[in-house]
Amino acid sequence: MSNFYDFKVENIKDLSLEEKNLRKKNLDLFFQNGFPNKKIEDWKFTDLNSILGKNFNNIANNNITSEEKNVKLIEEFEHNFIFLVDGKLVSNNFDLEDKNNIFINDYNYKNEIKFDKQSSLTLLNNALATGGFTLEISKNYKFKKPLVIYNYFSKNLKESIINNKNSVILNDETELTLINYIDNDSKDNFMTNTIDNILIKKNASLKNIFINNSRCNGYFYRYIKSVLEEGSNCDNYLLSAGLKFNKLDIEIDHNEENSKSSIFSALNLLGSEHQEIKTRINHNAPNCQSYQKVKNVLNDQSKGVYQGKIFVKNVAQKTDAYQLSKALILNDNSEFDAKPELEIYADDVKCSHGSTSGSIDFDSIHYLKSRGIPEEEALKMLISGFLSEVLEKLKDTKLKNFLLDKLERQINGY
Amino acid sequence: MLNIKNLEATIDNKHILRGLNLDIKPGEVHAIMGPNGSGKSTLANVLSGKNGYEIKGDISFNGKNLNEFSTEERAQKGIFLAFQYPLEIPGVNTNIFLKTSLNAVRKAKGEKELDTLTFLKLIKEKASELGIDEKFLSRQLNVGFSGGEKKKNEILQMKLLQPKLSILDETDSGLDIDALRIVADGVNTYKNKDNAFLIITHYQRLLDYIKPDFIHVLSNGKIVKTGNADLGIELEKTGYSNLA
Repeated sequence: MSNFYDFKVENIKDLSLEEKNLRKKNLDLFFQNGFPNKKIEDWKFTDLNSILGKNFNNIANNNITSEEKNVKLIEEFEHNFIFLVDGKLVSNNFDLEDKNNIFINDYNYKNEIKFDKQSSLTLLNNALATGGFTLEISKNYKFKKPLVIYNYFSKNLKESIINNKNSVILNDETELTLINYIDNDSKDNFMTNTIDNILIKKNASLKNIFINNSRCNGYFYRYIKSVLEEGSNCDNYLLSAGLKFNKLDIEIDHNEENSKSSIFSALNLLGSEHQEIKTRINHNAPNCQSYQKVKNVLNDQSKGVYQGKIFVKNVAQKTDAYQLSKALILNDNSEFDAKPELEIYADDVKCSHGSTSGSIDFDSIHYLKSRGIPEEEALKMLISGFLSEVLEKLKDTKLKNFLLDKLERQINGY
Repeated sequence: MLNIKNLEATIDNKHILRGLNLDIKPGEVHAIMGPNGSGKSTLANVLSGKNGYEIKGDISFNGKNLNEFSTEERAQKGIFLAFQYPLEIPGVNTNIFLKTSLNAVRKAKGEKELDTLTFLKLIKEKASELGIDEKFLSRQLNVGFSGGEKKKNEILQMKLLQPKLSILDETDSGLDIDALRIVADGVNTYKNKDNAFLIITHYQRLLDYIKPDFIHVLSNGKIVKTGNADLGIELEKTGYSNLA
């Protein structure tokens, strides 16, 4: 066992013997490999084992229950909310909706803990998960207002790990805008390991948005698996700058025809932030579309990574898949790594990818300065112009303006 | 207003301006003509404070040494350069750019910054004077604009910022006759006894619409001849080769 973590299934209360044993089996398998390191292809630019080793003395699963509820609610638009404290479901409010169509519960681990060898972080999650929610929306129900998930982290999390799972089921013909909102300015080091399982059934539509609202010393890992049925839609917006470490590991399965997905990411990384967006889009059925646009601005000593894979199965004819990464590198000490991958087994598909990185255009800065705009402001205008473009396609003006404001805040360093 | 003495400018070991002298007083319109590579655009860049040039000699603007000021400070003090190739700035809304620019200049002058409503009213008025469709103002700055639209946008910025000295760097290039006339009208209606213009051009045709008080011929980094408006017409016939 390594010297910087100490995980025990015994720290989790009220487990049946069967569940305890299953969790232990997962944990043992985790211990065999430990946290992923750069020798694993999916982690080649993010050596998690070494990053955690440098920043933690002894991470443990303390299973703390906190009563704190200190989150400032979003005032810019009306919304429903789910309130998670340290990954656990504490309260929810669906007053703006028809509640008969919405089913929200604590995550039920008794039925859900599996033994799978997917990755060591999944094993760890299976072994130690203690919180989360399940949300199901009845057929045909379209949410009137967005649903914000407030992720609150209590003040006593130093050297702790939070493992949780969430599950969202959108039945046929449903619609939901989900906003995962982190607002935490903790200077403590803690880690979260979250698994989201999302099922989007026939003609249903999900907007899944991730926003971070303050600078935080937490280490975040999140695996988001979305499964798309016929004619469904899944749009992801990732605005997670400000977290000291963050890896969003997104897998989208286009399992039935005419489903569409998109991933838009805009990150302005400061200080020693290290953020990775990893995607795997599986085209398992014909006539599906996927679109990815990932933009990074690297300041100071920050590091950004994008590993994007498009996989097209032999049956997935007429696939239309697109992937683009653009990075602005503003400091010689910052770094950006991109690894685009296409793996195609069908012969009638349209797949393209591109990756560019460069520095700021000094002629553009000069142009703005020649209109009286100070250099620092000119630079921010260019960064903002570069990043905000990923929000262009959002139709909800209130939401778009809110996200633009948050992006502006991230660009201004909070 | 502007006094240039013995100005030399070097970039990437190329000695471009080689002892240029120029005096511009309020109310005057000066034109600088000259063959390709004579240093016309370098002069515009140097006056705007663009980085990368090694400068010798004096440039004084209203009694102050211009070399001490950054590009933005020059703009705030009333120097405006209409770019030969206005830059496309993706993601930056034209209106927001214009408002930021105007308020930066107003703030530097100690004037009150304009709120959005007042600004929009003002910009609408100025845009319509130049025949610019309001829709352009909500688009990304210069992105996908035609050559003529970009140049009109430059003149719009000039009229908005109300500079003391406007430098027009080949503003006529890429313009059709109608656009040329609109741009020239924009200059003529802004011209008054307190401000001045330095018009850089290859051709006489812009000067048919904006009548200069002086025409200077720039060759090999120096002004080799100065005359009145008739000089332009003469150059149109004889070309520059006799002057160098």
